Amino acid sequence: MGTISSALSLMSGALDADQSALSIVANNVANASTAGYTEETANFQENDPVTINGISYGQGITETGATSTRDKVLTERLDQQQQLASASSTRLTALQSVQGLFTVDSDSSTSSTAGDIGSDLTGFFDSFSTLESAPSNNSDREDVLSTAKTLASDISGAATSLNSQKASLDQEAAGVTSQVNALTTSIAQLNQQIMSTSPDADAGTLEDQREEDVSQLSQLVGINQITTENNGLAITTTSGALLVSEGASYQITNGTVDGVTHFFVGSTDTTSGLTTGGGELGGYLTARDVDIPSVLSSLDQLAYSVSTQVNALNNTGTDLDGNTGTTASPLDIFSEPTEVAGSAAAMSVVMTDPSEIAAAASGEGTGDSTNTTAMANLANQTIVNGQTPTNYYSSFVSTLGATVSEVQTENTAQEASVTQLQTQNDALSSVSLDDEASTMTTFERCYQAASQVFTTINTIMASALNLGDETTVS
Amino acid sequence: MQEFGEHRGHPKLKDLVVEASRSLARLDAGRLEELALSCQALNRDLARCDLACGDGKARAALAFEAREAVQDMAVFARVLEATRANLNVMNRLRELRGGRLEYSEGQMQRWVRTENGHGDN
Repeated sequence: MGTISSALSLMSGALDADQSALSIVANNVANASTAGYTEETANFQENDPVTINGISYGQGITETGATSTRDKVLTERLDQQQQLASASSTRLTALQSVQGLFTVDSDSSTSSTAGDIGSDLTGFFDSFSTLESAPSNNSDREDVLSTAKTLASDISGAATSLNSQKASLDQEAAGVTSQVNALTTSIAQLNQQIMSTSPDADAGTLEDQREEDVSQLSQLVGINQITTENNGLAITTTSGALLVSEGASYQITNGTVDGVTHFFVGSTDTTSGLTTGGGELGGYLTARDVDIPSVLSSLDQLAYSVSTQVNALNNTGTDLDGNTGTTASPLDIFSEPTEVAGSAAAMSVVMTDPSEIAAAASGEGTGDSTNTTAMANLANQTIVNGQTPTNYYSSFVSTLGATVSEVQTENTAQEASVTQLQTQNDALSSVSLDDEASTMTTFERCYQAASQVFTTINTIMASALNLGDETTVS
Repeated sequence: MQEFGEHRGHPKLKDLVVEASRSLARLDAGRLEELALSCQALNRDLARCDLACGDGKARAALAFEAREAVQDMAVFARVLEATRANLNVMNRLRELRGGRLEYSEGQMQRWVRTENGHGDN
């Protein structure tokens, strides 16, 4: 030791180590555009020194492999935010489609699929007011039936469209599970490879592939990740159903329960957990099982109340032929619903002869219009869940609008959060000139400046809306 | 020279808020700092205008603008909230990594080995 040959040996070792490091750099550059590729850095290890006569002699360094520059906590946070953003985005699309059914284009004569139910209600009750002045006028009687048909057709049309959208969401949700199953199978296979080849260290490209698969899985379904021994990974749904355990994957299967697709892991029905879990699947299921049923239920209530109340009044009066409705021969204008659920889809006008409109009170002659007045007055009576029909409908439409707006706000914020985390993740694990520290500083500067903007605008707004002092921030 | 708040038009509150949300999502620190300065200037302008003019017209116009911006302000608040959560995660990560570098078992062993076996000692 301490000779020229040992010095040359040291230099040769150093050159070998540099050569290996250079090939890692070359690999980074070659994969700069590869999706999901994580930059690798060379690891150098000091060789054990040799001690001769009590003196230690260094033996140089050896390149011991490459480590990917990844941060699992950050990646997991990004995956979580992607789950939320993906769920709200899917739900928002479905909700906007539902809202489109009840939006009337004020700039043109064309209306939505559901028509303008609010105007239909007004038109229907107004037609009774018109009939009041000439209760035996056939044209006015026909007008009552005509406006009733428009109302029934628009309500049942909206219900049919909602049911179609629900069926379509059902299919989309079922389609997502096949993608989920393909990804969990792939992750389980990668787990096996990683655990056998790299149980104690970063598995480089294999781990990149697994991260990419987990990221895609996060966009489809809400998941939790648990790192296991030997660099393995277990994945469960957010409600705890096991999807991947090291080398094994567990498939989500579909089955029909009460006419809708339910999702099972093994024999457990995980539909409700998947609905609240996030991802595209969560978005589809929330729209299918929460949003659309809620809209349908409101529409059913409107159809049920209007049909039963109008029919009940018409059956108490006397028609143009002097008849009064009986159980055997009812004078129903609308098909009589038996229960609230399904009333909107089934709403139709069953009366074909306008003379059957019972304009007169029971026992009165054809010139009487007492019962017509009562039917016209239904417009101002709280007959639908404690509200007038038009108020109930307006409130239903504005509640739907508020839900859409709320989900939109949620989605914008979540997408922004994903963008921020991707920026940070790119700085850390991609081949980039930015370094993590400078991105952190930028992050902090952004937060401080944005807080200042928010505080100032908030003060201006509070002052403008007289919510606080009129003095402004200097 | 033009006086503050006299003839100069100011950007709409809604536009300012939307721009701030976008810049925050993109982590555009420079733009956000510009916006913070603009908001302060706008605030000063409004204060002077309020004192000088004292008429209800300007205040009504501002109230209208404020109402227009309410929804976008809600979005901005949510983005800011998400940013704070992300920043917390980043800070914890930094502390975690810092702690690992200083106190991890592997690092301690490497120090011991380096100090015991160094050839120049």
